[in-house]
Amino acid sequence: MLTEYLPIVAMAVLAVAFGVASLVVSRMFRPHRPNPVKLSPYECGNDPVRLPRGERFSVKFYVVAMLFIIFDIEIIFLFPWAVRFRQLGLFGLVEMAFFIGLVFVAYIYVWRAGGLDWATSVEAPADADLASDSPRDPMAAADEELAAAMHDAEVAGAR
Amino acid sequence: MIDAPRVELWAILPVLMLFGGGLIALLASGFARRAAQAPFALFTLAALAAAAASALWLWNRETTTALEGMVSIDRLAVVATLALCGIGAFGAYLGFHYFERDDFRRNEFYALLLFALGGMALLVAAADLIVVFLAVEVLSLALYVMTALTFRRGPTEAAMKYFLLGAFASAFLLYGVAMSYGASATTSVQGLARALTGVGGSQPLALVGALLLVVGLGFKVSLVPFHMWTPDVYQGAPSPVTAFMSAATKVAVFVAMVRVLDVAFGSLAWDLAPAIAVLSAGSMILGSVLAIAQRDVKRMLAYSSVAQAGFILSSFVSPEREGIAAALFYLISYSAAVVGAFGVVMLISGGIREQTGFERFRGLGRRQPVLAALLSVFLLSLAGIPPTAGFVAKVLVFGAATSAGYWPLVLIGALASVAGAFFYLRVIALMAMQEPRGVDIADPSPLPRLVLAVPAVTVVVLGIVPGVIVPLLQEAGVLTW
Repeated sequence: MLTEYLPIVAMAVLAVAFGVASLVVSRMFRPHRPNPVKLSPYECGNDPVRLPRGERFSVKFYVVAMLFIIFDIEIIFLFPWAVRFRQLGLFGLVEMAFFIGLVFVAYIYVWRAGGLDWATSVEAPADADLASDSPRDPMAAADEELAAAMHDAEVAGAR
Repeated sequence: MIDAPRVELWAILPVLMLFGGGLIALLASGFARRAAQAPFALFTLAALAAAAASALWLWNRETTTALEGMVSIDRLAVVATLALCGIGAFGAYLGFHYFERDDFRRNEFYALLLFALGGMALLVAAADLIVVFLAVEVLSLALYVMTALTFRRGPTEAAMKYFLLGAFASAFLLYGVAMSYGASATTSVQGLARALTGVGGSQPLALVGALLLVVGLGFKVSLVPFHMWTPDVYQGAPSPVTAFMSAATKVAVFVAMVRVLDVAFGSLAWDLAPAIAVLSAGSMILGSVLAIAQRDVKRMLAYSSVAQAGFILSSFVSPEREGIAAALFYLISYSAAVVGAFGVVMLISGGIREQTGFERFRGLGRRQPVLAALLSVFLLSLAGIPPTAGFVAKVLVFGAATSAGYWPLVLIGALASVAGAFFYLRVIALMAMQEPRGVDIADPSPLPRLVLAVPAVTVVVLGIVPGVIVPLLQEAGVLTW
């Protein structure tokens, strides 16, 4: 039974061998004359704006990602239903309408709760004290330290 | 041609009431974000009453399964659903008072509470391992969010820990389901029981599956090697949420364990009992010993709930009807006591920045005699001291374990109770015998005291005349398949 997988194994071995061989051969024969333009990361022909490392994203993107997942899951369920629409008949239609209705409730809640507004994405209540528990907030201190360390690293990299 | 499954929605009417109520509450909280929360609380109580009524309506139904064998209709589920609705009502009221006191508008609390209860009501009726997993996920996701509801650092940290460890435990649960399916080619509780008694099933694989399921479910009820999250989460979560989840989660998950262990893996009972005994003994010993070292009442109650989970589990070594009835009685008496205890702690701790160190309870008997008396009743019941329900519960549970021949386990349990009595009585002594210090920040309002008298009366009445519910619980303990 396992012999059926032999062609796949042969294919995998060939693919790896071809990749490695190409890299080794080109390394042996190519000229090596670097200059700053060649070494810079490629960004659609423009000068790269930032270096692609240590980048921090706004936490608001998580809300977007989670909203995406809600509707992504919906599509996953819609697809097989659409394929078998005729066989499932009225029962399937009603069930699917019900399911979409439930997802829609989540959507309305997110909209009303301000999940779709970028500026005030997730509102915290006025008396939330995530940043004011102590006069010298340890989390803010850690953030500042991190920022300083990253700045140092940037300077060192530029030199 | 795909046959449409028979839709017997009446079988899950209590669950539908809770989820339906949750959806309406969620939509309303989206549209009325800054509205007063009293209508939400009343609506939640109405939804709970509707769910309880529809559960009662299922009491006289023939014991069977519905929805293609996915949920069971029996008295065990009915009793557990009624208990859950009761706990939910206290959770809703305590939450209402907690948020109202600080004028903190979080109306999503009620939607999340109803969703969590819906998951729990589904869990106690689940007759298929996939439904067990689904229900555990529903209740857990709602509880993670409820833990973080006040947006403070403590609750947020607690929710993060709970979520990360909970996700880990879900993987164990799912792996257990997969193993059980491998052993018997079915995930239905009934099918598993049939396959394992016949020649079709693979016993070793089923044993591995059952143990993995115990790990996954044991995490939710904080049995000992899987209890790490409990003190942090119980301490960090807002007190009404702690009161709700410490009681309701245990009821729901232990009832699911009855179905999984006594029915699905009933034929492996003799192989599983030693493992259960070890988990139970570990929880009783470690929970009681670590609770002694705590200086914070919420943390102490968290460790004590670890020990209580061990006591409940000790009845599982006997797969008899008495064992199930004993576990149910223990769950009900524990729920009443723990909801009450966290409720009193909530009133004493003084607002959303909860202060629950021992110094807050020093001399409380002078300043707040009613609260001190209520807390004493709850702690005495948790300690298992006679005229309270906790005593009867321990007698029933240990009786079940003894009749199964596990007397060393009972001995360990008795010793752990003695150790436990020490830390419960220490708090009572602190309240009664010490001079008060610092400012009194306890909540003065009378209504919550009146509401908390209900579990206190329950605890005492069940302790004096346990006969009121024991026959009912024994009927609920009859699982016919």
